[in-house]
Amino acid sequence: MNKVQILLRQHVGAPCAPIVAVGDKVKKGTLIATPTGLGANIFSSVYGVVDEVLEDRINIIPDAEQPDEYECIAEGDHLQMVKDAGIVGMGGAGFPAGVKLSADLEGGYILVNAAECEPGLKHNIRQIEENVEMTIRGLKYCMEIANAKKGVFAIKKKNEKAIETLRAAIVNEPDITIHLLPDIYPMGEERAVVREVLDVLLEPTQLPSAAHADVCNVETILRVAEAIELRKPSFSKNVTVVGKIKGGNEPHVFFDVPVGTDVETLIEMAGGLDEEDGPIGEIVMGGPFTGKATTPDAPITKTTGGIIPTIEFPDLHGAPVGLLVCACGGNEERMRDVCAKMNGKVVSVAECKQAQRQKNGSLKCENPGNCPGQAAKVLQFKKDGATDIIIGNCSDCSNTVMGSAPKMKLRTWHMTDHIMRTIGHPLYRHLTVSKHVDQLPNGK
Amino acid sequence: MSITAETAKEHAHDPAVLCCRAEEGTVIEAHNLEDPTIFDDLVDSGLLDLDGALTIEEVLGAKLTKTLDSLSPLTADSLDGVKAVAKEEAPAEEAVAEEAVAPVAAAPVASTGGVLSIHIGEGKDIDLQIPVGALGGGAAAAGVVAPVVGGTAAVAEAEQPEKVVRELTRKHFKITEVKRGPETKIEGTTLYIREGIEKDCIDDQVLVHDFKIDIITPENYHTYSETVMDVQPIATKEGESELGSGVTRVLDGVVMMLTGTTDEGVQIGEFGSSEGYLDENIMWNRPSCPDKGEIFIKAEVKIENKTNMERRGPLAAHTAMDVITQEIRDVLKKVDESLVVDTEEFKQVRRPGKKKVVIIKEIMGQGAMHDNLILPIEPVGVLGGKPNVDLGNVPVVFSPLEVIDGGIHALTCIGPASKEMSRHYWREPLVNEVIHDPEVDLCGVIFVGSPQINSEKFYVSKRLGQTVESMDVDGAFVTTEGFGNNHVDFASHLEQIGMRGIPVVGFSFCAVQGALVVGNKYMTSMVDNNKSEAGIENEVLGCNTLCPEDAVRGLAMLKAEMSGLEVKTAEKAWNPNVKSTNIELVEEATGKKIDLVENEQSLPMSEKRKAKYN
Repeated sequence: MNKVQILLRQHVGAPCAPIVAVGDKVKKGTLIATPTGLGANIFSSVYGVVDEVLEDRINIIPDAEQPDEYECIAEGDHLQMVKDAGIVGMGGAGFPAGVKLSADLEGGYILVNAAECEPGLKHNIRQIEENVEMTIRGLKYCMEIANAKKGVFAIKKKNEKAIETLRAAIVNEPDITIHLLPDIYPMGEERAVVREVLDVLLEPTQLPSAAHADVCNVETILRVAEAIELRKPSFSKNVTVVGKIKGGNEPHVFFDVPVGTDVETLIEMAGGLDEEDGPIGEIVMGGPFTGKATTPDAPITKTTGGIIPTIEFPDLHGAPVGLLVCACGGNEERMRDVCAKMNGKVVSVAECKQAQRQKNGSLKCENPGNCPGQAAKVLQFKKDGATDIIIGNCSDCSNTVMGSAPKMKLRTWHMTDHIMRTIGHPLYRHLTVSKHVDQLPNGK
Repeated sequence: MSITAETAKEHAHDPAVLCCRAEEGTVIEAHNLEDPTIFDDLVDSGLLDLDGALTIEEVLGAKLTKTLDSLSPLTADSLDGVKAVAKEEAPAEEAVAEEAVAPVAAAPVASTGGVLSIHIGEGKDIDLQIPVGALGGGAAAAGVVAPVVGGTAAVAEAEQPEKVVRELTRKHFKITEVKRGPETKIEGTTLYIREGIEKDCIDDQVLVHDFKIDIITPENYHTYSETVMDVQPIATKEGESELGSGVTRVLDGVVMMLTGTTDEGVQIGEFGSSEGYLDENIMWNRPSCPDKGEIFIKAEVKIENKTNMERRGPLAAHTAMDVITQEIRDVLKKVDESLVVDTEEFKQVRRPGKKKVVIIKEIMGQGAMHDNLILPIEPVGVLGGKPNVDLGNVPVVFSPLEVIDGGIHALTCIGPASKEMSRHYWREPLVNEVIHDPEVDLCGVIFVGSPQINSEKFYVSKRLGQTVESMDVDGAFVTTEGFGNNHVDFASHLEQIGMRGIPVVGFSFCAVQGALVVGNKYMTSMVDNNKSEAGIENEVLGCNTLCPEDAVRGLAMLKAEMSGLEVKTAEKAWNPNVKSTNIELVEEATGKKIDLVENEQSLPMSEKRKAKYN
C-alpha cells in the first residue's frame, strides 16, 4: 500500500496545524491536525506510522493490517460532534459543516444537494440508492441542529431509481420533500439550488442563510449521521473513478475511501489505466467542469469527488484561440491549461458578463444556468483574430455561444470535450432539454 | 448581452432580439433581450436579420408562444400580448426644411480585426456599434457621418452691446516676382533674396548639412520635390506691435516652403510623405497650402542621418529656413507704406449675452516633427516660440487674433493630407467662422498638445476639462489633426468636456482610414474633415484638413446642441453623401451658398496615387 498523504488544508479557511510528530503511531480516526482559524479537524485515515510532517501535509506509512475499528469522537451535543468530527462540505466547497450548521435558520430549510451535476460522477446518487435510511437521518440531524423546519432533496429528474428510493423512504416524513431539477449544468451550484427550490435568487456575495436555508451535499449529511450515531470522525470519502479505465468507461463508485489515498491507487482499484488505444490525455481530479489536472501521486481529500483519466486532446496546431471564461467552469488558469494541451495559442480572453469576481479572486455566476447572452464576446474573439474558441460555460451559455460562433466561422470547443468523449457523454453545445421539469405531487 | 430595464427604456424603439434561448411561456423582460448596440455587427456577420422584428417597448411583458434560440428577433407570430405603441408623428416637412442638418462623425472604438463600437448620447437613444476595417489595413471601415437636426436660429436673448477686446490689422504687400540678388530687398513687387544666404542657413545649424533654394513659379509647378514639411506665410510685426494685435505686414503671392530629407535621402516624414511632383501632391488653396498661382521659395534641406525622427532634426531644418524668412521680414518692416495693396481689419469681439463658446485645437506633441512652436515673436517665426513638447502639452489659451497672426509655427509635416501646417493657423477657418458669427461669443482658443504616452494624454485632457469648466462656456469645439494615436486624447478631451455637461463638437479626419480608435458617449457630434474620394490619407498635402465647409457644419451643429436640439444617430458606415445632403440643408436654412473645395481628383494623377487607388 502506498503511503497516505493527508493534506493540512482540505477545507475553506486556513491550513490546520499538525499535532503529531514523525514516528508517532496513529490509528484510523486519530486526530493529527487541528484548525488554526476557520477550518476542521483532520484525522488519520489508516493505521500506521507518521513518516513525514511537511508544511502542507502529513505522510503516513500504513500498516499491513487495517482493522475496521477507529478512534471515536467524544459524545456530546450534536453540533459539537459535527465540529469534532471535522466534517466539511463534501460537494467540493469544503466549508466546515459545524460552522455552517451553527447558524439558526429560524424554521427554514436544509436543502440537500443531490444534483450531482458534474457529468460522470455517480457516488452521490449511488449513496441514495444504497444508503437512504442513514442519509435521511443525517438530514434530520442537520434540520435539528440548524433549527430548520423543512428538508428538501434537490435531485435531477433523470435519476429515477434514486428518486423512487427516496420517495419510499420519506412517505412518513411530513417535513421532507423532493424537488426535481432539470438535467442542466450547473443545477448543483449552491445558489442555483436555492433559486430552483425556493425561488430566491441570491447575490453572489450572499450565503443561502439569507434565504433561511443551508445547502448541504448529500454525502455531507451522511457523514453527519455517522458522526452522531457512530461517533465516526471524517476520514473517508466517496469517490467516482471514471474514464479511460481498463474494462470500459462505466463509472466505478468507491465508498469510504481513506482520505490521503493517491490517484494511482484509486485508478488501480478501478482496473488501471487503459492505454491500449492511445495515450492518456490528462487525469482530472474533481468533475469535468470544476476539476483540475492532477498527477498519479496526488492524494484525495475530504472534498474530492472524481478521478477521470481522459483520452488525448484534439490538436489545434497552434491556432489562435479565444477563451470564454465562466464562473461555472474552469478558471482562466485551467482554461489556459486546456488550451495549451490542445496546442492552441490564446489571443483573446473574455469573462462571461455574469461572472462576478469575488473577494477571494474566484468567479461566481450572478444567475447560474441562465445565460446573459454571449454574442458580444464572440464578436470580441473574432475581432481579436481567433479562429477557434474554447468555452467553459454552462449548458445555457454554451447553447448561446453556438447561436453565433459557428456562423462567424469560429470553431467552438468546450473545455470538457475530451472528458465528455472519454465518458461517452454528449458534448456541451446546443441545449435541447427544457429548463422546466414537472414536480412530484406535494414534493413526494 | 442581456440588458437592464434602464437600457431597455433607452432603446425602446430598437428591435427586440432574444439574447439567449427562451422557452415557450416565457414572459419577455429586459434580461431576455440582446443589447441593440451590437446589432450592426451581428447583421454584418450574417447572424441577424431584423426584418419584421418588433421593438423593445412592444415586446416587454408579452408571452412567448414558442421556444426560440438566442439571437432570434421577436416577431408578432411568436408572441402573445404584444403592446400596441402609438407611432410618433413624423415631423412636418416645412419644419425639416427650416432646420440645418450637419454631419456627425461617430465615436467608434476600433481595433484591428474589423469591429468598432460606438456609444453615442446618453438618454438620446444613440448607442451603436460599427464595423470598421483594420486601421491602415484599408478594409471595410467606417468613419461615420450622420445628420444632426439643428437650428441656426439663435435663442432669443436680451441684446447687449458687443465689446471689441483688441484689433489686428494686416497690411498686404504684393509680390509678383522673386529673384536672387546681391542683397535681400523688396523693389516694387519684386522680392530679391541674397545670393549665398544658403551658407548662413547651413552655418546656423550643425545638423543641417545642405541647403538649397528653388524659386518655384507657376510655370514650373511640375517640379519634383522632397516631402513638404511646412508652408508658411512671410509676415512680420510692424513697430512695437505684439503678435495678435497691432499691425502685421504680409507678402501676398509668395510663400515659404520647407522640404527635406536626411543626408542619405530619408524623407522627414512619418506616416507617408508628399514627395513627388508638386502639382500632383499639393491640394491647392487649402488653408494649409499654397494657393494656385503663388510663388514658392522652396528650401530643400539635408539633415544629419537618423535625426529625422528626433526632435532636433526637424527643428534644425525649420530654424535654418527661418534665417531667410527673418531676413525678408527685416526688409518687409521697412518697405514703404505706398506699396500696401490691401488692408484687412480683424476684431476680437466679445458678445455678452450670446452663447459663449471656446475652440480647442489639439496639436501634435509626441516629439520629433510632431511638435509646434507656440507664440514666437514674429508670425510663424522661431525666436521666442516655446516648443509644445517642452510645455508638457498642457492647454495654452490664445486670443483668436493670436491664432490667425501666426501664433503657431507647426513642425507637423507628416501624414501630409491631414496635418495642419503653419499657414493653416494663419487662415484657420473655424476661428474665422466663429469670430464673425454674431450669434456666438468666442471667449478664446485653447491649444493642447497630444503627448506620446497614454498617461500623459489623460493628464493633459483632465487639465483641459478643468480649464474649460472654469470658463463657464455654453459650448466647445475640439479639432485635431492627423489620426490614430492622437484620437486617444481627442476622445478624452471630448469626454472631459462632455462629462461637465457642456455641448461639444469634434472635428477630425476619420472617413475610412482614420476611423476613430476609441470612443465614448460624449462623442455624439462630430465633423469629418475628409475630402478625399476614398476616405483615406492620400498623401496629398492638406487634402483632409479643416476647411470652411467643415467649420460651417460644426458651428451649426454646436448651435443646435446648445439649444437642446437632438443630434441624430450616426449612420452605420462612412457615407460621403451625408455631408453633401447636410451642406444643402445648411444652405437652405441660411440662404447662403457654400462652395465645396475640390479634392485630389482635380489634380494630375501621380504614379504614387495611381498605385494607392488600385
